[in-house]
Amino acid sequence: LLLKESRELERNPMASKGSPLHGPQVRLIEQAHRLFAETKEHVFESKASEEHAKLLRSQHELEVSTKQAIFVGSSVSDTIKTCIAMGNERAALKVKSEFKVPDKRWYWLKSCALATVGNWDALEKF
Amino acid sequence: MAQIPNLDNAPLNLAALREQSQKDLLNILKSIRGKKCVVIDPKLAGTLSLILQTSLLKEYGAELRLLSAEPLQTECAKILYLVRSELKFMKLIASQIKNDEPKGLQREFFLYFVPRRTVACEKILEEEKVHQKLTLGEYPLYLVPLDEDVICFELDHSLQECLIEGDTSSVWHVAKAIHKLEFAFGVIPNVRAKGVASTKAAELLNSMQQEDPVNMDDMGTPEINTVILLDREVDLVTPMCSQLTYEGLLDEMLQINNGSVEVDATIMGAQQDGKKVKVPLNSSDKLYKEIRDLNFEVVVQVLRQKATSIQQDYAEVKSTNTQSVSELKDFVKRLHSLPEIARHVHLAQHLQSFTGKPSFHARLDIEQTILEVQNFEICFEYIEEMIHKQEPIENVLRLLVLLSLTNAGLPKKNFDYLRREILHSYGFEHMPLLYNLEKAGLFKRQESRSNWIGITRALQLIVDVNDTANPSDISYIFSGYAPLSIRLVQHAVRSGWRSIEELLKLLPGPHLDLKRGSSAINSSLDVHQGLGLQQSIDRVGHRSLVLVVFIGGVTFAEIAALRFLSAQEGMGYDFLVATTKVVNGNTILRPIITNSKEVMI
Repeated sequence: LLLKESRELERNPMASKGSPLHGPQVRLIEQAHRLFAETKEHVFESKASEEHAKLLRSQHELEVSTKQAIFVGSSVSDTIKTCIAMGNERAALKVKSEFKVPDKRWYWLKSCALATVGNWDALEKF
Repeated sequence: MAQIPNLDNAPLNLAALREQSQKDLLNILKSIRGKKCVVIDPKLAGTLSLILQTSLLKEYGAELRLLSAEPLQTECAKILYLVRSELKFMKLIASQIKNDEPKGLQREFFLYFVPRRTVACEKILEEEKVHQKLTLGEYPLYLVPLDEDVICFELDHSLQECLIEGDTSSVWHVAKAIHKLEFAFGVIPNVRAKGVASTKAAELLNSMQQEDPVNMDDMGTPEINTVILLDREVDLVTPMCSQLTYEGLLDEMLQINNGSVEVDATIMGAQQDGKKVKVPLNSSDKLYKEIRDLNFEVVVQVLRQKATSIQQDYAEVKSTNTQSVSELKDFVKRLHSLPEIARHVHLAQHLQSFTGKPSFHARLDIEQTILEVQNFEICFEYIEEMIHKQEPIENVLRLLVLLSLTNAGLPKKNFDYLRREILHSYGFEHMPLLYNLEKAGLFKRQESRSNWIGITRALQLIVDVNDTANPSDISYIFSGYAPLSIRLVQHAVRSGWRSIEELLKLLPGPHLDLKRGSSAINSSLDVHQGLGLQQSIDRVGHRSLVLVVFIGGVTFAEIAALRFLSAQEGMGYDFLVATTKVVNGNTILRPIITNSKEVMI
């Protein structure tokens, strides 16, 4: 029952996706995170929803600082790619450390993003 | 060439079945007088194209529309909805009817459910308050012949419903369809089933026979000797492997729908850009019948041979001036096969653009390594890299599911790591997807030791293939792996379940062996001896017919394996395949992926 309840909550926030107000969405996901945390079987789900909320927050910050509404709703990897493609490696590194992205994935993302924007000089140096 | 397959060579009189469905449909049309607009759901449109030519509908004064969310545009005063009994269609119909109300149009509405009405659907119509305006009926279309040896129940979501949603209505449908077959061809005396859904279907079949018996006295010998029912759940490994037969590859790369593929006209050598053409693929095409089940490597060789031999003939005709008319006739006859050859050369060329890539071979290597449960680390890292490269999620999941199935799950550490990597790479919205895959047992945490190696040894699933051109075993189909499902069928026809009872216990779901018919009317679970080879050729001198039913879908590769088996010497059986749907790894996973997302929105 608990699982069902938290699952419901997992679903609901998505209904508000795309709206400029992400506050309620983040709050719902955090609530789901707490519900998952109440049982032992759902440690993974609990952590994932915690990260999800965190991601949405930092994406929101990124949108404010870059003044471009292209982050919210994309995955962690895509967020990193977008940052690098925009030439903002510092922001990308911040996301990397925040979400403990393994180096392997980081290298793939970085080279892929640099190749997409055709930044061959940076790719060479890297 | 027609898309409707020619059924003249079918081991069973399937043409009669199709005619019956045709007649039923036309009778419904006739029962509604005057001009009418027939609205069908998109999936059903494909199905109906296997039953009759759409031009025939016009002769009956019907114009055809596809059901959509838009309001219906038609002049007709009579509207006939012909839809599968799905809840979402009811809502669409209700909104279309309501849309008419303010216009003050006087229209008559008819709704025919395919194949039967359900309480849930009628409930929705009542709730939407359109129940009174509709005349309800049923169009009992339970099965459609896909080809001369393949029947389809057209149940797209059967596997997903059984494994994830716990909805077993498709099992009833399957039992009903088999029961209908029995009305036409006699009670099937031997029933073997493996898997939860299959045993349930077998039991349902029995109770249907009790409630609504097929009269056995005026039927003579039943035309189908044995029915083998298998759950897809019993063997999920096979569909996750890349199919290597010509037909299998066509399905993997281009997706075969209702016996045809749709490709860009340019691929088929035409000039127009951007246009799609439909290429029918069934055994009415002699060449296709010959090459569909061959390993793709061999197909290319065969096509080359055919082309050069015609070229030689042509050169001969040109050089010698003294040919008789009969020689010329022969030559012209051979030229007739030219368009067929051209068609398949185009398709094969297109396929080669995929199979020629190194990534394709790398993938096959990994699949083989996973099947042999050899080097977990290599497989794990390969998949990890795929996720990191953000390759299409269905490709990733297919390998991941394969790895999970052969290892009875992944160790907790790897499991959690990969799940996290997937969520990070593809987005947190995939959480319900991971949950559903776990629930279906497709991708899970390791809890017990895997018995996959034991199964592969006992059933000889991994076989070295030396000669793909002249195979001696079904393993040629996957270049070295014999599908588990078909090995089970092999054992079932040879000696029944008894000889492999221990093994069956290792696979999911119960098994069942039944004898029915006049000799054992009060047939319960009495176990009996296998058919034995001497019985396999029955009194009339026919080869006996085995109906193999796959609940949850079958791949073209497995159908190919069964055709290969019945063509073997000393095999006294013809196989007729029946399935809820023809699937491959992607078509199994894709609906799970999209459905899991829909739930979120």
